[in-house]
Amino acid sequence: MKKKFDFSVLARSKVTWAVVAEALILLVCLFVRPDFFSISYQPTTEMLYGNLIDIVNRSSEITIIAMGMTLVIALGGTDLSVGALVAVSGAIALKFLRWDVTIYNTPGDYTVYPFILVLVVPLAVCTLMGLFNGFLIAKADIQPIIATLILMVCGRGIAQILTNGKQFTTQYSPFRVIGQGSFLFLPMPIIITAIVVAAVALFVRKTAFGTFVEAVGINRKAARLSGINAQLIIFIVYALTGFLSGISGMIYSSRIMSNDSNNAGLNFEMDAILAVVIGGTSMTGGKFSLLGTVLGSIIIRTIVNLVYYFGIASEATMAFKAVIIAVVIVLQSEPVRNYFAKHSKARQNLVSGGARG
Amino acid sequence: MPENNLLEMKQIEIQFPGVKALDKVDFSLRAGEIHSLLGENGAGKSTLIKCLTGVNRKDAGTITLEGKEIQPQSPQNAMELGISTVYQEVNLCPNLTVAENIFVGRQPMRRGQIDWRTINRRAKELMARFHLDIDVSRPLSYYSTAIQQMVAIARAVDVQAKILILDEPTSSLDDNEVQLLFDVMNELKAEGMGIIFITHFLDQVFAVSDRLTILRNGHLVGTFGIHDITKVELVTQMVGKDMDTIFNLKRASVAPDAPYMLTAKHIGAPGQVDDISITLKKGELIGFAGLLGSGRTETAEMLFGANRFTSGEMELDGKKAEVKKPYDALMQGMAFCPEDRKRDGIIGDLSIRENIALAVQARRGFLHPLSVKEQNKLADKYIQALGIATPDAEKKIGELSGGNQQKVILARWMATDPKVLILDEPTRGIDIGAKAEIQRLMLEMCGDGVSVIFISSELDEIIRCSNRVIVMRDREKVAELDGDTCTQEKILSIIAEGSAAAGGEA
Repeated sequence: MKKKFDFSVLARSKVTWAVVAEALILLVCLFVRPDFFSISYQPTTEMLYGNLIDIVNRSSEITIIAMGMTLVIALGGTDLSVGALVAVSGAIALKFLRWDVTIYNTPGDYTVYPFILVLVVPLAVCTLMGLFNGFLIAKADIQPIIATLILMVCGRGIAQILTNGKQFTTQYSPFRVIGQGSFLFLPMPIIITAIVVAAVALFVRKTAFGTFVEAVGINRKAARLSGINAQLIIFIVYALTGFLSGISGMIYSSRIMSNDSNNAGLNFEMDAILAVVIGGTSMTGGKFSLLGTVLGSIIIRTIVNLVYYFGIASEATMAFKAVIIAVVIVLQSEPVRNYFAKHSKARQNLVSGGARG
Repeated sequence: MPENNLLEMKQIEIQFPGVKALDKVDFSLRAGEIHSLLGENGAGKSTLIKCLTGVNRKDAGTITLEGKEIQPQSPQNAMELGISTVYQEVNLCPNLTVAENIFVGRQPMRRGQIDWRTINRRAKELMARFHLDIDVSRPLSYYSTAIQQMVAIARAVDVQAKILILDEPTSSLDDNEVQLLFDVMNELKAEGMGIIFITHFLDQVFAVSDRLTILRNGHLVGTFGIHDITKVELVTQMVGKDMDTIFNLKRASVAPDAPYMLTAKHIGAPGQVDDISITLKKGELIGFAGLLGSGRTETAEMLFGANRFTSGEMELDGKKAEVKKPYDALMQGMAFCPEDRKRDGIIGDLSIRENIALAVQARRGFLHPLSVKEQNKLADKYIQALGIATPDAEKKIGELSGGNQQKVILARWMATDPKVLILDEPTRGIDIGAKAEIQRLMLEMCGDGVSVIFISSELDEIIRCSNRVIVMRDREKVAELDGDTCTQEKILSIIAEGSAAAGGEA
């Protein structure tokens, strides 16, 4: 006999509610402005355009960081430094593109150092900074929020120093591809994000890494006594998050073809944490859902786009975002989910009871 | 005796998904009575209590308190009705003072401010009732578990309770502290309070209660006056099997020429144990006896690398062993079930399957994962071999009873095929049936050539199982006794008197 589908399980899952929330927001959009959903093809750039594409495209930076953040939070930690690392990554990339600005004083379609350095060094530095976080947390046993606060505060300072406090611009076309190029008619950031999400998901779920992260997050001491090298796990997770922040920073600076030590990645840590939480991973650590995080990130961006598209005053953007997120989080809260789970179960019983009678 | 019941629970039924947790259970409590509630883990004791305290809703049956029917909706509601509970784990705030803990949530106020003077004075008076003269303005964590337990009881009693429920209050107390608790219980009883006492220690049941009620598998076995039942009858009723068949265990037989599996020479670490030497043969079981804090656990943790030893050296299977962290110990064929299984053993939110596979997976490293199929095979094998009571391997370990959790932890290590297995209090807080099963498993593993170090506070099980007994006292090994000839009295006198008595035995 076919196993009967249990709706109460579905109703208890936070990811379900993330889907419901996203659907509701889109439904509101549909009612107010049906053209919100129109997608058109632009032959000159060989790219699809439209709000839905734009939402996914613009959520890339957060989604990529949030992959790492999900693991960080599953370990019971937080990483506040990711936004600053975005700035560092961009600053280093632009530094290599324009090395000595007094000589290369006009931006153009050139790079001073080989492009490979432009790509590799920022990612390597961000990974090292992630390792530094991991060191403070795993070895020195500093609380993650304090440990990562250090780079959050001084990361932008480092970015300023690297670029002598200046904002460089570039027109080097291979660099432009990262944030503004296209592949298979889709904006390049979407492609990069898809690859990152797939790679992280494969890494954590096809190896035992995900289970180890959960075990350490739930009970670090028990995990250690079971022979898990908890310190190594923590190192890897924070280093990975640093690396992903680096990628995110490359996309960001490629979009603006510039570095912006003050504003690049500003508040990204908050959005990334929010994406993880909306996605159903608990801040206390333990079980996590990467799919949920992707949804969470998309929800956040949907709200922002909705605000822009409906011409809500930009001063009100933050407040509007806060209201919707509050609703989403309440929808996902334990009592509400349990209420719906019970409700759906009762109805199911009614239905099956009726069928029997 | 007139049926003058303070509390009456009739035909209580509770249905959990898939199981009937309670089936037509009756329970009554008189004023001025201590009534023990007994049964193995999973028999339904906690469910019955939770039904009374409003945590679980009953599906059928009635509860009457002083002749009036009540429907407790929540622990808060139950407390307002006069039903107070003290749980096994002290659930107070260790960082607040004793006085704050007693009055938190119902602080006496004066002119809109918390009246600290009254709080401290009344807390002091209350603790004096418990024969405790302590500084109530110190943080709770400053005091021992026993005193914390007393504070929890004081808090429960001070809210004008008619019924006090004590859920395993004695599992972390020593004998004197237990006696203190009993004195308090008897005083409360004299004041007319009804006390429900849940414990695994049968001696304590007979020492303090007036009546006892036995549950088994969610059914009521019966309620007995304390003089109408013997200990053996009681155990037989609880387990539903005969005692003899359970405890018919034979010590492991060790060949005289069996090779040494583990040799620790003068290992020690500052603040742990200074200097201890141990030898362990293949297939041998040695017991560690001693009081809490005598250095048993510290020794085990040093051997396994949970705490690194800084002096001395260790050989495993004839080779010098470097054990700096648990991972090293795991890689060299050691296994360790820690003392506090809730805090250090289980990964609560992970499934039984994941918990069992954990150590094997840790040994392989995360890049060489066991497939889900292999994990299931492993889990199913041990669920069956160890008789872990669960509908399936996907249940969270945190939702199992203590005995079953312990079996899962044991399975985690058995799956690694260890050469040396260290078990620190594997039978604490679990029921007698599961206890016997764990002892049986231990001895079976010895038969398969595993060397076992068995730490326990219960001397009878140490004596029953061990080939040799090491007695610890004040962080030192004071004696090593032969398992065949050692007796409880001998061990006790060594623990009491120290090394002087041990000279002839070692």
